[in-house]
Amino acid sequence: MEEVKLEFFNPTVPLDFQYNNRVGPGIQKLLDGFAERKIYGSKCPSCGKVVVPPRTICGACNAKMEGFVEVAQEGTLRNFTVGHVYLEKGQLKKAESPYVLGLVELDGVDSLFLARISGVEPSGVKEGMRVKAVWKDQVQGDYADLDHFRPA
Amino acid sequence: MAGKVAVVGLKFACAPDLKTTRERLVFELTRGLFDELGIDRHEVDTFIMCSNDFIDGRTISTVFLDAPSGAYLKDETKVEMDGLNALIYGWMRILSGQYDTALVVSLGLTGSQASPYLNIQYSLSPTYERQVGLLNELAGAALQARSYLSRSGYSEELLDLVAAKDLQLAAKNPRQGRRLEAVDVDKVRSSDYYYEPLRELHCYPRTDVGCVVLLASEKKAAELTEKPVWILGAGNSIETYFYGERDLSRSPSAAEATRRACSLAGISDPSKEIDFAEVSALFAHQEPLLAESMSLIPEGEAEKAYRDGITGPGGSMPINPSGGSLGGHTVCAGGLLRLCEAVLQIRGEAGPVQLEKAGTALVHGQDGLCAQQNAVLILGA
Repeated sequence: MEEVKLEFFNPTVPLDFQYNNRVGPGIQKLLDGFAERKIYGSKCPSCGKVVVPPRTICGACNAKMEGFVEVAQEGTLRNFTVGHVYLEKGQLKKAESPYVLGLVELDGVDSLFLARISGVEPSGVKEGMRVKAVWKDQVQGDYADLDHFRPA
Repeated sequence: MAGKVAVVGLKFACAPDLKTTRERLVFELTRGLFDELGIDRHEVDTFIMCSNDFIDGRTISTVFLDAPSGAYLKDETKVEMDGLNALIYGWMRILSGQYDTALVVSLGLTGSQASPYLNIQYSLSPTYERQVGLLNELAGAALQARSYLSRSGYSEELLDLVAAKDLQLAAKNPRQGRRLEAVDVDKVRSSDYYYEPLRELHCYPRTDVGCVVLLASEKKAAELTEKPVWILGAGNSIETYFYGERDLSRSPSAAEATRRACSLAGISDPSKEIDFAEVSALFAHQEPLLAESMSLIPEGEAEKAYRDGITGPGGSMPINPSGGSLGGHTVCAGGLLRLCEAVLQIRGEAGPVQLEKAGTALVHGQDGLCAQQNAVLILGA
C-alpha cells in the first residue's frame, strides 16, 4: 500500500450526555432488596427456573417472569478466574494484586451470579467451595451494597 | 436452494497498524479488486457494508464509504455484526434473483485507532453489568475457558498447545497480522496471565483489518473467474446474553448454526465430509470448544486431538491452517478474514500454509460476550 504521512487526531467521543435507561422491575427489585440486605430473583411460571439478577422475560419459554422470590445468600462457587489485569476505558492495566471473580450458584437458584470473591488467597480458591454474601456496612439500595462473597 | 452463488474475488489487509485511514483502506481494497477482475463499480449490483459504529467513533459508520467503495448512488445497506452475517445477506440477495453480484465491504481498525475491548464492554447491560463493573470481554472469556477445561477434564496445557499451533502457522502466513518468531508451547506458557487460565498469547491481538469479498450468481461467476468457490450452505444462531444461565463450556448456538449450514450443503457428518475449518476462535480455548460443538472433532477428545496433531496442517481435521484469529482479528471483519483464508486454500493459493486436501471448508464467525451469536458457512470448489 502507498505510504503517506498520516498523523493521528484524537477526538474525544462526546458521550457527556446522559441516557435515561429504565432499569425495569427486575433490577429495581434487586436494588430494593439490597437496601434490606436481601437478594431477589425472578421465577419463570412456565419452566420454573429461578434466576438472579431478576429479569422479566424467559428466553427459552418466551414468557413473562413476574414473580419475584427472595433467594439464599449462601451458595457454591462453580467457576472463577484470578484477574491479573483490569480494563480501564478499553486499555489493559496491571492489577496491584491478583483478585478473584467467581460465578456462584446460590442455593435454590438456577443461574450463576458473578461476584468478587474475597477473604481467601487466590491460590486457595477452589470450584465447589461454599461461599456466602458479605454486605457493605451501610446499604442504600445500590449495586455496590453486595460487596463480595467469602468462604462460608 | 434456487441457484448457486460463488465467491469470485477478494482482497484484504491485516496488520497491527495498517497506517492508513478508513476511507483510503476501503478505496485501495475495492478499487484494487475491481482492477484485478477487470470490472468497474457498475458491475456490482448491491453493496453490503459491515463496520461497527462504536469502534469507528461515529454512528452510521458507513456514511463516508459511498465514494471509496464505489457505492455512490447504488443499492447499499449495512450489517453491524460479524462479517459472515453480511456475506450471508449478500448470498440471500443473489438467491432472490434480483441481483447478480454483491460486494461485502468490512473493516475495523482496532490495532491503531480504538481498543477492541470497548465493543464488548459497551454491549454489556447499562443498568446492571456496567454498573457493577466486574465483567469485561477478557474476564468473560477466562470464565468460559475454565468452564470448558473443567467440564472436559482437560489441562491448562491444552490452551498452550492450541496457541502454539496457531501462532506458528500465523508466523508462516504472510497475510497475518501477528507473526511471532520462534513461538512454541514454552513461549506461550511464559507469557503473562491476563485472567487465569488465559495468558496474553492465548488471546487475539489488537489488529487493523480491511476486507472486501465479491459474490456472484452462477451465470456471472463464469464471466468473472476460473476458480469460483461456492457457498454450499450457511446458518446462524444466537443464545442468551445472560452468561450466568449459559453452559459456557459448550456452544449450542454454534452447533445450531452448523446444523443449519450442513443441512443446506447436504453434509451429515462434518468430521468426515469437511476437509478443514477456519474458525473465529478469539481465545485459545474457543478453538477446541467450537470444534467440538460444530462436530469437527469428537466431544471429550480435544486434548488428545491437539497432542496428536489431528487439528494441525498434516492432521485429518486441520483447524485454522491460516493461523486463525490469534494471528489477527477485529470486530465485524473477523469472520471474513477466516473466509478469505478458506477461499485461498480451496483455490490452492494459500502459499506457505497451503494444505494438500482443501476441497470443502467450514468457516465460522462470532459476535458478543463468549460468542453469544455464531455464523457458519460451508464452502466448496
